[in-house]
Amino acid sequence: MSFASVIVENALRIAEENKAKKVKSLTVVVGELLLINPDQLEFCFNVASHGTILENSKLNIEVAKADISCVNCGKKYDEVVYLCDECGGFVSVKGGKEMILSKIEIEN
Amino acid sequence: MHKIEIEAQIDLLSENKRLAEKNREFLRKKGIKAINIMGAIGSGKTLLIEKTIDSLPEIKFGVILGDVICRADFERVRKHDARVEPINTGKECHLDAHLISHVIEGFDGVDIILIENVGNLVCPVDFDLGEDYRVVMVSVTEGDDVVEKHPEIFRLADVIIINKISLADAVEADIDKMERDARRINGRALILKTDLRDGRGLNDWLNFVRRLKQK
Ligand SMILES: Nc1nc2c(ncn2[C@@H]2O[C@H](COP(=O)(O)OP(=O)(O)OP(=O)(O)O)[C@@H](O)[C@H]2O)c(=O)[nH]1
Ligand SMILES: [Mg+2]
Ligand SMILES: [Zn+2]
Ligand SMILES: [Zn+2]
Repeated sequence: MSFASVIVENALRIAEENKAKKVKSLTVVVGELLLINPDQLEFCFNVASHGTILENSKLNIEVAKADISCVNCGKKYDEVVYLCDECGGFVSVKGGKEMILSKIEIEN
Repeated sequence: MHKIEIEAQIDLLSENKRLAEKNREFLRKKGIKAINIMGAIGSGKTLLIEKTIDSLPEIKFGVILGDVICRADFERVRKHDARVEPINTGKECHLDAHLISHVIEGFDGVDIILIENVGNLVCPVDFDLGEDYRVVMVSVTEGDDVVEKHPEIFRLADVIIINKISLADAVEADIDKMERDARRINGRALILKTDLRDGRGLNDWLNFVRRLKQK
């Protein structure tokens, strides 16, 4: 629920700064390691936006993948591991934890 | 009526990060260390805090107890020699840096703050509180696949505690598997196997806490 309210708060602020009468759509980029279920986020967003100029706007959710790869041989992984099973090198995890309100489409 | 598309590019999690850094700076100036204890519901977080306070009377503890609603943990811990503050998170399933900030200001003169986060292995992981160390506690009664099912919280832990080991046989949990899973995900964490009822492993934890005070 808290993620949805953060989206609503920030979107409302930007919409007001731009003197919006209505918000048509929003695009949010969500890192995969945040483990957010898009359906659930959308549902919570609909609840949280009720009664605001965000009501009935379309929430587009883009999932951003994390880069999980061996620093030694470069092997890529889909899951979090510490050591590479190919070469024993360290596996680094980059990204996958961001949540960015990237775009907002308004009518004024 | 105009339609306008705005390239917002707003980092929605930056507010918590900023507040966490503020907490960290505040604690550093006061010379206070903070430990964020996360873990499964009922894994033994409160009992760990109680045992820690009782076993280390030479350390002044502040305790923050995060809970969805109930004050039962608060009633337990306040009987011990420490400053204790409950935080009810309401509907939220995790503490955040803002909730913590009000409380730490009142903890003047303590050496170490023990923070019990809300019991779950998913949500607390993404909310830095400004702590120095992250502890994740699970027990064998959650099943021996509990570690592999929640890699993200174990990846970012400094200490991983596998508790209630005396019950492992009764619930047919393979402790070595749990430890292997933890090691596979996180090679740098201190991994401790404990039983807070019979006291096994407790001393390893207490040594970790003792060293923090000296740092
Ligand atoms: N046998 C055994 N029981 C334990 C151990 N540690 C905790 N318990 C018991 O497990 C129950 C839960 O312990 P708590 O300390 O309340 O656990 P918690 O993680 O704080 O629980 P929540 O705050 O509800 O998430 C209590 O009845 C404890 O006495 C242990 O190592 N062995
Ligand atoms: Mg508790
Ligand atoms: Zn490799
Ligand atoms: Zn949650």
